[in-house]
Amino acid sequence: MSVKWFGKRMVMGTIVLLVISFLSFFIMHLAPGDPATAFYGGNAQTLNTAEKERISRAFSLDRPVIEQYGLWLKEILQGNLGYSSKEGRPVTVILLERLPNTLLLFGVTLFFIIIGSLWLGTVAGMQKGSLWDKGLSTISIATSSIPSFWLGILFISFFSVKLGILPSSGTGEVGGDGGILDKLRHLIMPAAVIILTHTGIYARFLQESIKAETSKYYVMVAKANGVLEREIRKGVLRNASIPYLNYIGMTIPSFFGGSIIVESLFSWAGLGQLLVKAVMMKDFPLIMGGILFTGLLVVFSLFIIDLVMYAVDPKLRKGAYSR
Amino acid sequence: MLKVDQLSISINEKNIVEDSSFLVPRGKITSIIGESGSGKSMTVAALLGNLPLGTETTGKALFDGKDLMDSSTEEIMGIRKTDIFTIFQDAANSFNPSVKMERQLYAFSGGRNGDTVKQFRAKMSSILVELGLSVAIFHQYPFELSGGMLQRCMIACALYVKPNLLIADEPTSSLDRVVQKEFIDILKVLNEKQGTTTLLITHDLDIVAEAADEMIVMHAGKVVETGSVAELFARPTHPYTKRLLESRF
Repeated sequence: MSVKWFGKRMVMGTIVLLVISFLSFFIMHLAPGDPATAFYGGNAQTLNTAEKERISRAFSLDRPVIEQYGLWLKEILQGNLGYSSKEGRPVTVILLERLPNTLLLFGVTLFFIIIGSLWLGTVAGMQKGSLWDKGLSTISIATSSIPSFWLGILFISFFSVKLGILPSSGTGEVGGDGGILDKLRHLIMPAAVIILTHTGIYARFLQESIKAETSKYYVMVAKANGVLEREIRKGVLRNASIPYLNYIGMTIPSFFGGSIIVESLFSWAGLGQLLVKAVMMKDFPLIMGGILFTGLLVVFSLFIIDLVMYAVDPKLRKGAYSR
Repeated sequence: MLKVDQLSISINEKNIVEDSSFLVPRGKITSIIGESGSGKSMTVAALLGNLPLGTETTGKALFDGKDLMDSSTEEIMGIRKTDIFTIFQDAANSFNPSVKMERQLYAFSGGRNGDTVKQFRAKMSSILVELGLSVAIFHQYPFELSGGMLQRCMIACALYVKPNLLIADEPTSSLDRVVQKEFIDILKVLNEKQGTTTLLITHDLDIVAEAADEMIVMHAGKVVETGSVAELFARPTHPYTKRLLESRF
């Protein structure tokens, strides 16, 4: 692997994280409400000026904003994201508790979306003009137009309320053993909602990419010269997967955004649901830490996609795009 | 070898090629010459069964007695694989950009013949060297090679498979003068040494004069004159052929 390429990615990832940290800090700084209220809730009204000043001093809120940001960043680099103003526990600990659930939901849905869209997109793209081709074009628009929260409500109404076969919310039974099977049963509906609303559009993208690739000059030349169909298909799929992977990479951030809605709807105890709660309760340290953590996940996922692209696309490896 | 009889090609009821008849004799280099849009490349596409969707054809094209216009897709694919090799105009785009040259050259040559990769490597290496190319290109990607090198790779495949009919569709138009000359020399060697019947499509009269034995002049979708190069150069009868000859420097 090219050290230069690797280094460049790392620097870019760090810059993105710095921008995220900057934005999350300053947006929170501009948000209404003050930290004293966040800590003491309704009781904040009973605090006198000296007590409020003491709180401000304790959190360095009496210093200039830039200095506050610098201090915050320094602590973050040491792994300290502060303490939740509601729970009083370290933000890092709270986030790490929720992280496995988000990763499970994200991993499972992304896995099935990729498998499903690869299969549908390839079948439809390779059979230009067929029923598959036309069918996918229509169905993908329909499925991606369905709002996930609405589909989620339908699912709850049908599978939980009417049939009573799947749990409507949570990540495990109350009083259950907390085993993996129990968790998977709770995972089915939120995962299915994300998979159903996303697979179509990813498949459509791959389908169009394959169709564009099969009309390329080199395919015509290969066909005219009796090159094996299997060999041509392999080459076409490889090239068509490059824009498809790019598309996955580009949409990963919105994927995390979308999962916030689904996590809240199904009370799936992941980072998304935690963030929504933190916003409701004006738990500033938790919001800032959550945003940064999600940012870190996005940057890491994009890095993985970049690595796959690097392996698939020789032009990228040989630096042909920058020539 | 190839006898085209009353071939007409139309797209959306618009005639692209009209009642074309010509002969490609065995063991000779026959050239189809005409300006852009005269129907040369469409004629080749029809012979290869490579026409765009919605195209209609009438007439016959007998290849060793078999009518290409009346053959099934499988039959055409079989002929493409065993009897005909085609070199196209745009060499830079004739190969898949993300597959190494060795694999592609194999697919175009040894893979067609059913040779093993080992046999292919040995045979192709000597052909590449003969054509002034290094065997290092095996491990390179098409975008790392020049247009001239890629066109020579195509010729290497033609030399490898020794087709009954070699079709070269404007093979030199994207190459510079020096490489063009080299290409034509190789075509001639291929014809003289292996007796490869060649159908050379071009709009360049100099190339016809240099390489071809027979020529077919196409103009506005019609074959206007056919005959040996020497004969047509000396005594052109059709006004378009005359104009073409007069336009030479």
